[in-house]
Amino acid sequence: MAFNYDKYLRLEKMPTLWCWGCGDGVILKAFVRAIDKLGINRDDVCVVSGIGCSGRFSSYVDFNTVHTTHGRTVAFATGIKLVNPDKHVICVAGDGDALAIGGNHTIHGCRRNIDITMIIINNFIYGLTNSQTSPTTPKGMWTVSQKAGNIDPTFDTCNLAIASGASFVARESMLDPKKLEKVFVKALEHRGFACLDILSNCHINLGRKNKMASAMENLEWIDSITMPKKKYDALTPEEQTNLLPTGILKEDTEADEYCDMYAEIIKVHQGQRKTISQDDFTKKI
Amino acid sequence: MGTAMTENVNNAPVWVNTSNCKACDICVSVCPSGVLGMRYDSTSTLGAMISIDHPEACIGCNECELTCPDFAIYVADKKDYKFAKLTDDAKERQAAIVANNFMSLDQQGVK
Repeated sequence: MAFNYDKYLRLEKMPTLWCWGCGDGVILKAFVRAIDKLGINRDDVCVVSGIGCSGRFSSYVDFNTVHTTHGRTVAFATGIKLVNPDKHVICVAGDGDALAIGGNHTIHGCRRNIDITMIIINNFIYGLTNSQTSPTTPKGMWTVSQKAGNIDPTFDTCNLAIASGASFVARESMLDPKKLEKVFVKALEHRGFACLDILSNCHINLGRKNKMASAMENLEWIDSITMPKKKYDALTPEEQTNLLPTGILKEDTEADEYCDMYAEIIKVHQGQRKTISQDDFTKKI
Repeated sequence: MGTAMTENVNNAPVWVNTSNCKACDICVSVCPSGVLGMRYDSTSTLGAMISIDHPEACIGCNECELTCPDFAIYVADKKDYKFAKLTDDAKERQAAIVANNFMSLDQQGVK
């Protein structure tokens, strides 16, 4: 008997529609194992996904799932979480979904620090629509929309989330599924907005014109641009230029969680307390 | 309808659900002891299919199962099966398989 995935999957949808060697499948697997490790009941989980290859994520898992409009995962998830504060709400979005069209929702989800786990599957390209430049496409790479080479500067997802106020920020790649599972466990246990930047491969649409047309070549490239945070911190700023630190980059357990504050608002309207004042908050501005 | 095939029916260390496998080579690349290899298969998506050539060398590290994106490969639980130790022979075989473009050593030519 191997690990039993059957319990958490919609087997009638298998095999997945993702391309051969797609990192989304590895992330899906690590996610399922993390849920199993925590022993969370399937009915207590809601997976919200947007549009893109990552949007298929919600179709394959047998939890409560919502396949929403493009970029609006955090908006839908906020609503779901506010009415079900005791459930685990997980957003799954791609780099285009979370940072381009849904960028505004993402930063305001981070700002509110609502208890949502956001999995951003970052494959550096718009994979589903055949390789247009995304906000994370590295400079100089060939894309369909910038055939001479991409000149757009890139987003650093983790720095964006930290600056916006998310209380748990981590980056991991699909190269190490065991670490990925651990990071999912920590993020699901964390109370507050957990933003996970999971680097994934798209050797089909990013790789085919950028000299990494097989899954292995793409994974080697991801390996070459990432470095564990401890090692990364020891480097000089010049050496850090083209590297992304992996691991948990921010963990703040003290920050006020939005659902707790919302519960106080409900109390005001039920007449149990008068108003909310600045004294209720640890961090006021 | 797909099936996950998590049941170990033949008391094997590692087994494959070929209807889920898309022949991406990832499992072959992560195996430390040369257990796996690809074989030519004209009916498969990429013209190849995974095969388990040396099950006796499996060390039960679970890497192939964890990195398979398609729920196609499974490794027995450490409680149910006694796995082998990693040997130098196995390491050499793995290096040869990687050098042979992830194809089994008896398979020649370009995929």
